[in-house]
Amino acid sequence: MADADLVVRNDIRSAMWNPGGWKSLLSFFILALAWLAGFSARLFAVIRFESIIHEFDPWFNYRATHYMVENGFYNFLNWFDDRAWYPLGRIVGGTVYPGLMVTSGSIHWILNLLHIPIHIRDICVFLAPIFSGMTATSVYLFTKEIWSPGAGLFAACFIAIVPGYISRSVAGSYDNEGIAIFALMFTYYLWIKAVKTGQVFWSICAALSYFYMVSAWGGYVFIINLIPLHVFVLLIMGRYSQRIYTAYSCFYIVGLILSMQIPFVGFQPIRTSEHMAAAGVFALINAYAFLKYIQNFLTKSEFRYFFFAAVTIAAAVVFIAVVGLTWAGYIAPWSGRFYSLWDTGYAKIHIPIIASVSEHQPTTWVSFFFDLHILVCAFPVGAWYCIKNVNDERVFVVLYAIFASYFAGVMVRLMLTLTPVVCVLAAIAFSKTFESYLKDDSPKQNQKNADEKGDNKNDRLYDKVGNKKIRDEKPKDEEGLGINVKSIIVVALLMMLMLFAVHCTWVTSSAYSSPSIVLASYGQGGSRTILDDFREAYYWLRQNTDDKARVMSWWDYGYQIAGMGNRTTLVDNNTWNNSHIALVGKAMSSNESAAYEIMRALDVNYVLVIFGGVIGYSGDDINKFLWMVRIAEGEHPRDIREVDYFTPQGEFRVDAAGSKILLNCLMYKLSYYRFGQMQLDFRSPAGFDRTRGVEIGNKNFELTHVEEAYTTEHWLVRIYKVKDLENRSEIKKPHKPVKKSKRKPKRQTVRKPGVIKHSPKIVKGKKVKSPKTTKTPPKTGGKK
Amino acid sequence: MESKLAGIFLLVTLCAASLPGKRTLILVDNWSIRETHSVFFRSLRDLDYELTFKTADDASLALIKYGEFLYDNLILFSPSVEEFGGSIDVSAITNFIDGGGDPMRELATECGVEFDEENSAVIDHLNYDVKDAGKHTLTVADPENLMKAPMIVGDNNKSPFLFRGVGMVSDPENPLVLSLLRASSTAYSYKPNEKIDEFPMAVGTSTLLVAALQARNNARVVFVGSLDFFSDEFFQSSVQKANGGKKFEKSGNEALALNLARWAFKNKGVLRVGKVSHHLQGEKEPPQAYTVMQQVEYSIVIEELVQGQWTPFKADDVQLEFVRIDPFVRTTLTPKAGVFSTSFKLPDVYGVYQFKVDYNRIGYTRLYSATQVSVRPLEHTQYERFILSAYPYYASAFSMMVGVFLLSLVFLHYKEDVKDKKE
Repeated sequence: MADADLVVRNDIRSAMWNPGGWKSLLSFFILALAWLAGFSARLFAVIRFESIIHEFDPWFNYRATHYMVENGFYNFLNWFDDRAWYPLGRIVGGTVYPGLMVTSGSIHWILNLLHIPIHIRDICVFLAPIFSGMTATSVYLFTKEIWSPGAGLFAACFIAIVPGYISRSVAGSYDNEGIAIFALMFTYYLWIKAVKTGQVFWSICAALSYFYMVSAWGGYVFIINLIPLHVFVLLIMGRYSQRIYTAYSCFYIVGLILSMQIPFVGFQPIRTSEHMAAAGVFALINAYAFLKYIQNFLTKSEFRYFFFAAVTIAAAVVFIAVVGLTWAGYIAPWSGRFYSLWDTGYAKIHIPIIASVSEHQPTTWVSFFFDLHILVCAFPVGAWYCIKNVNDERVFVVLYAIFASYFAGVMVRLMLTLTPVVCVLAAIAFSKTFESYLKDDSPKQNQKNADEKGDNKNDRLYDKVGNKKIRDEKPKDEEGLGINVKSIIVVALLMMLMLFAVHCTWVTSSAYSSPSIVLASYGQGGSRTILDDFREAYYWLRQNTDDKARVMSWWDYGYQIAGMGNRTTLVDNNTWNNSHIALVGKAMSSNESAAYEIMRALDVNYVLVIFGGVIGYSGDDINKFLWMVRIAEGEHPRDIREVDYFTPQGEFRVDAAGSKILLNCLMYKLSYYRFGQMQLDFRSPAGFDRTRGVEIGNKNFELTHVEEAYTTEHWLVRIYKVKDLENRSEIKKPHKPVKKSKRKPKRQTVRKPGVIKHSPKIVKGKKVKSPKTTKTPPKTGGKK
Repeated sequence: MESKLAGIFLLVTLCAASLPGKRTLILVDNWSIRETHSVFFRSLRDLDYELTFKTADDASLALIKYGEFLYDNLILFSPSVEEFGGSIDVSAITNFIDGGGDPMRELATECGVEFDEENSAVIDHLNYDVKDAGKHTLTVADPENLMKAPMIVGDNNKSPFLFRGVGMVSDPENPLVLSLLRASSTAYSYKPNEKIDEFPMAVGTSTLLVAALQARNNARVVFVGSLDFFSDEFFQSSVQKANGGKKFEKSGNEALALNLARWAFKNKGVLRVGKVSHHLQGEKEPPQAYTVMQQVEYSIVIEELVQGQWTPFKADDVQLEFVRIDPFVRTTLTPKAGVFSTSFKLPDVYGVYQFKVDYNRIGYTRLYSATQVSVRPLEHTQYERFILSAYPYYASAFSMMVGVFLLSLVFLHYKEDVKDKKE
């Protein structure tokens, strides 16, 4: 990083003296280094563990990609997956953003054309690190358009190693976000380019890039709301121009048609509220353009009157049309996930399934610093510079910053959309500062050069005011400082950047590089133990169960069971059907016989639970259990009530003081079956749960309708087989007591006489006695 | 035979093997039963059953050897057994074990039938036979109290039945136990020599005289609380109710006993599923996955065991269900020489379905067949290509194309004119 800074400094300096060829050479060199640094930083997981797909969603993406490579694109598009969501099935082609699969599929295809044989898994694993370099390049281009090439290089270096982006793009994290951030930034770059030039070419390019984004990630909604918002704000600010009209009209129409080509998106762009802002702004800008045209035929005073009336009416008509269509049902109201962005308590009350996902939780303040470090401090400075020297495209970046900050505060996962703009604005701040403090001689000339160049290139036609201000203010600031003060500040900034680089590497290595399907624990001597229980269990399923066997588990593990175990699942991470998930949640939270009925109805063969009590793994099913109860309660409020699972004091506890219903529900029994007999160490009693830190409350119970099929080495995954109905049903409580016989130890050949009551005993040499007086011989069966 | 002795009788088929066998083991208390019940055994021999007699305490008893069943059928005529000899295998019958106690009652309880205690008997002070010894334990059961299950009890039971033995009750929730013969409404079950000081276990028609169990693997067990029921004496005796009933020359015991034995030994009422096939209309092989709204043909072969031969089953009430959690289609299958078939249109809902035939009729073995198929939605090429309501859009698209073409022509020519003028 420090190297990069030096190079950046060099770059700026060289740009001052030789604006010729080797400036571009340096830029290229720095970008290549940023790419390399970003790529290498993302390899921790591969080096420490192995080249493996991580977590949950990537497993589905990998499975889908594999399917596409094997069967071709059209079969993938029409893929009906009958192994997921049994018995509903899932239309994969219509419920997936295919961009990711198509991208890695085409890379695989090209490499194979070049006779480079490579397994699709390796492409999937390394796709996100490779795309991080492309993200860096597009962030460079974006910042270059917004501010200056120097700031662009800073931004590229920042985005390459910033943890907020690395968290979603380490090697093996094969998810939509990995390529979507590239598409997002590239679309924004092209949009800015289109706004600046007003060329149809650039706005069509922006629409194409938008199409790629739509095909890759549901976050495209962010683009299709932010760009109209940009246009709208420009209109309000009176910055309307022919360029904006051209850019937006072309972008909107082409982008709309292209986005509707993705089967998953379909008619949403014209039917849902999320997309209505774009349509409204499109109508508005046309009305505005029409007014501008009318202006040619009217006097100024007439026009002013007419203008306000028309704009008000147009805005009102658009608004009323949207509301009316929504009310009439032509436009779907906001989806729950979107709605919860505005009302953070909404999901928790109405849609527990959205609130249950950890990455949908609100962000803590710490994680801003953790993910962005020094950038989060520099970013308002950059935003301030942009506001101060505002022009069309800087309006955009300011809006982006405001909205992304809000969303990142609401949901942890949206930190990802905030990261690029933080990098851009922090880069502007740093670049501007270095620009001021690194100049040792002829500051005026430089200043002129830099500014004029920017003017000539980009915005000769507008924003005179802003540029004048820069010229007026800057020299004053700089003249007051001596060379020493300047050097101190520069060194301090460089130190901070160095700390930033160190922090980024540390965070990447410690927090974001675990595959989460292979766990590592460290002993006291620093020795590392690998806990490979997940794969052990999935491999067991793959090898030992029927090909058509149906595995019930909580939805988190659906993709992994399908991907690694290749077995049919009931619910998975594509949480499209809440009631089906609620049914599984109900089975897990009911008692065993009620759960058995549900499992029979769903043809379940195996039940899989994750249990962390032995090794102290906190992400296990008991800790997630309340969400199962809540989701089940949402659909079956008469059978499941959340309060039943708490103690009267309102605590959720699994020890002897816990609620009886909790201690007898299926999830509890499956997690703790036979655990009461297990003593982990001499300091704690038998059945001591390390995750919850308590001794469990219900220890000795037997299972009637399920039987244990497999438990992994560290008890992390437990698999149970669902028994068939009994062959015959015995009378559990006879009216009169029935003497139970002693169970004979199993032996193949037992040759011993039995006993018949009242049978005459014949003893040689004695008379046969009457049966009444015969004493039955003592029972002998048990002792032998 | 004293009436205070609990005469318990069991007929068991051991395995749910496809072809019922003839090897029959009979466990007796003492060898005299061979003589007192000779008519019954002779009738079984006439049906080609190989009978092997053993006393219940024989040390060499074994049902399974080297993992194979030695016998196909088992008759327990041994009410007084306390402990079986040899290695009568426990899991083979019903997890049924030696050791002390009351194996006959325990066995019954395991199967969902509860016998009354030892030394008790069914007593009926109104419907007893004229030959009764005074305790009113030789009861007369009317054929009206038989369950209407011709497959099990036969369809020609006119004479009443003589019964002397213990009564049973069954759990009304248990779907597997059949109450074949109930006592009359005036009967009850208690120890005849004792004073009644508690409510009897079984009263009136809840008292079962003959019960049957068909387990889920189709093994069959018949329980009769009277050993005398099968004796030559009862087979041949006449029946007349003591309080002036009509006199029947011969009791119905023999016919009923034989019918019960034939049913329990799977001589009748055995069904099996043959070939199941399903495919699209007009095709032979099933596709990888069906598509919604397709016309599908389904057929299933059902065979019945008659006289040791598998013959086509005749019935017109076999139904097919097309199930995805709930049945989406339920239709009656048309029989044709043992092949039951139907044709129906798949529902407009995709998912993983099962063709289910679940045929449960009293007296027949359980017939169940489930075939899983996937029903997929339309492929992207299978939608209607040109729809009427889209014509305005086609028109606008083409008019736009023509318009752009014309405009570009006009534009080019117009520009040239301007240039010319300027120059």
